[in-house]
Amino acid sequence: MSTLDAPTFPAEEVRGRARIGPAAVFPGADGYGHTLYGQDLAQIAVDDIDRLRIVAPTFVPQRLEALFDLAREPLYTDVELDTDIGGFRSTLPCYLSAFGSTQVASRDLGVAVSAQAGRLGIPMVIGENVVPVNGYGRAEDAQTASALLARLRAYANAVGPDTGGVIIQQSTEDADAEVWNLVYSDPSATALLETGRLGFELKVGQGAKPGLGGMTVVDAATAERLNGAYALDGDVDFGGRVLRNSSPGTFTDEILRQQIRLMRNNFPRSRVWVKLPPSRDVADAARVCWEAGADSVTVDGAEGGSGWAPLSFLGHMGLPLAECLARVEPGGRCLLASGRMWEGTRIVKTLALGARAAGLGRAALLAVDEDPQAGLERLVACLALELRMLTSALGKYRIGQLDITDVWAPGTPFRTVSGSAAVLYEDPVAIR
Amino acid sequence: MTITTAATRSVSKPHVAAGPVPTPIAEHLASPRTRDVIVVQNHLLAGARAYLADEGFTEVRLPIIGPVTDPGARGAKQVDVDFYGHRYKVMTSAILYKQAALTAFNRIFCIAPNVRLEPMETSTTSRHLAEFHQIDVEMAGVSREVVTDVLQGLIKHMVAHAVAEGGGELERLGRDPQDFAPLLTHPFDRMTHEEAVERLRAAGHPQSPDAEIDWVGEAMLSTAADRPFFITDYPKGSRGFYDLENPDRPGSLLNFDLLAPEGYGELSSGSRRENDYRRIVARMRETGENPAKYGWYLEMVRAGISASGGFGVGLERFTRYVAGLEAAWQASAFPKIPGVATP
Repeated sequence: MSTLDAPTFPAEEVRGRARIGPAAVFPGADGYGHTLYGQDLAQIAVDDIDRLRIVAPTFVPQRLEALFDLAREPLYTDVELDTDIGGFRSTLPCYLSAFGSTQVASRDLGVAVSAQAGRLGIPMVIGENVVPVNGYGRAEDAQTASALLARLRAYANAVGPDTGGVIIQQSTEDADAEVWNLVYSDPSATALLETGRLGFELKVGQGAKPGLGGMTVVDAATAERLNGAYALDGDVDFGGRVLRNSSPGTFTDEILRQQIRLMRNNFPRSRVWVKLPPSRDVADAARVCWEAGADSVTVDGAEGGSGWAPLSFLGHMGLPLAECLARVEPGGRCLLASGRMWEGTRIVKTLALGARAAGLGRAALLAVDEDPQAGLERLVACLALELRMLTSALGKYRIGQLDITDVWAPGTPFRTVSGSAAVLYEDPVAIR
Repeated sequence: MTITTAATRSVSKPHVAAGPVPTPIAEHLASPRTRDVIVVQNHLLAGARAYLADEGFTEVRLPIIGPVTDPGARGAKQVDVDFYGHRYKVMTSAILYKQAALTAFNRIFCIAPNVRLEPMETSTTSRHLAEFHQIDVEMAGVSREVVTDVLQGLIKHMVAHAVAEGGGELERLGRDPQDFAPLLTHPFDRMTHEEAVERLRAAGHPQSPDAEIDWVGEAMLSTAADRPFFITDYPKGSRGFYDLENPDRPGSLLNFDLLAPEGYGELSSGSRRENDYRRIVARMRETGENPAKYGWYLEMVRAGISASGGFGVGLERFTRYVAGLEAAWQASAFPKIPGVATP
């Protein structure tokens, strides 16, 4: 039964995949043999990543290498998708993005999605504000435990022995609730800590509303409980409900550098991730993070975000993901990207532009909304199939081999592998 | 910077073993060994009070709970208390109140109880307690060298007093007074954090240059020493916002740790303190803190507080070293080991 709406997202396509699984990657089989297919002109590109074409070569030396290894012609099923994501082994180049404290993520869907992410062996980020808004039921039993603990346990109970990981996000005002200290010292986290599968993510900002902190609409009773912990804007009246604001936090390069160092100092057995907003200085911020020792930097494109945000911010604020990827130079370090990810081509393009993996946000929520037991697993099965087919078509058999030569922006010259992502956009008029 | 014994002895990987398991509380309290340890601890405290009184310190009782506490504890959770509808914290250390107390006196100290919900992994380190005490000392208008001199004098006096008054107890605990001869007769060595990192890396230990010396590293350095020694100038990013950044060496703090010899590790941390409002607010952000919750403290800082320095000595850890105990919990009548529910 559908309870979530996502009017700005290809929700029906995601729900179809969550329901049907890999067969949904293809047109309906009932048309096979008597329908003429071709590019769907209704699928008009909506951003610069959509406008990119994935361009397969005729000459495929890496397929020859795979042929040597296999002693037979390689197939798309031979593509290896497993990769390192910010210090965690993942079965494919995807992770579950944070959902935050918004109502859609606070219900049972959070637990359902966590168990499936664990079974899939992909890392999962648990969002900011989950503790201060929903509470943290350390002393309570499993049934009444808060959103964070319930999700942590659901994941840990489902995950295999050597893949995946849970990353706990904290932003400026979560620091008051000591989310990281709390998890780091909690028995529930011990098994993940001891197997090197716990991480902490410093949330510097987000795609949906760069420059603003977290926002939720809360009822009067919740507002009363949160008063003092958060700013409540009484001037914004949603028929008795109130707007709750977090501060975006004040950052300079030194503040960011030292916060990362302190994370490494205080939590030596956890991985350190940083999530950046699509800001104009995103390249500088990412460099500071890596130099300070961050295991991973996530860039959330302006297309990203499942949460509540002002329409002005949704429509006009922040760099598109393609531009963020063009500006950031990972240089072998782990860059993650999120923003409207739900199918294989966007992920392949994102990886070709320099990211190590892509975050699933709204798509994951919709998939478990469609089927709480297996919706995400079917959606990811579709992704895995597409990733294998696309990667093998590019003559490559390890997902990490994708690079800038695998995509082409209409109106730009062909590039060699030495061309950087920045070169891709040297003539912005040509592609916009 | 003189490095004598600590530098000339070889640094090697210590055997880091889990400590003994706490016995039932009645058995622990009835043990003659526990009684001897508590008597030694009493002598140490009596020595501390006598020394600090002679040095012009006033003993002040600092709060147990407050709207905010020291955020600087590595990975440890604070304990929340519902104070008539306000979220209060049990002190992880009294540092902010120590600075505030200098408004009344130039030199203060306190034997302060602290609670830190340390990570589960610390339950087997033999050196962590969730509830412990510190001899907390703070003084106005002093250099770091004065602070470390006071600490050195305090440690020497406490040990001398315990050896003089508690010889029988120490003997029964297996401690020879000669064990403390180097401590009582020589000044404490000093090395910078940078030097400590170099030594550890040279010995094959992958110590991070911009973090605290980790437990294994501390144990390696400690095992190589025959008396306590200072490690100074920790990097920013490894400590709380109140340690003063060296104006001549940005990124480096005018702070120190005192480590015990024989593998016992850290006994004390201290520093010159930040007391400039803008620097403190910026440092709060650098340590991930939200300045809003430090309202009363920032108000005092804005109005002007003394430039100061000070330290805290972990009483149970220090007792463990002097009494030669396997684990810090043995130095407490009612021990609380991280993650272990005891009375």
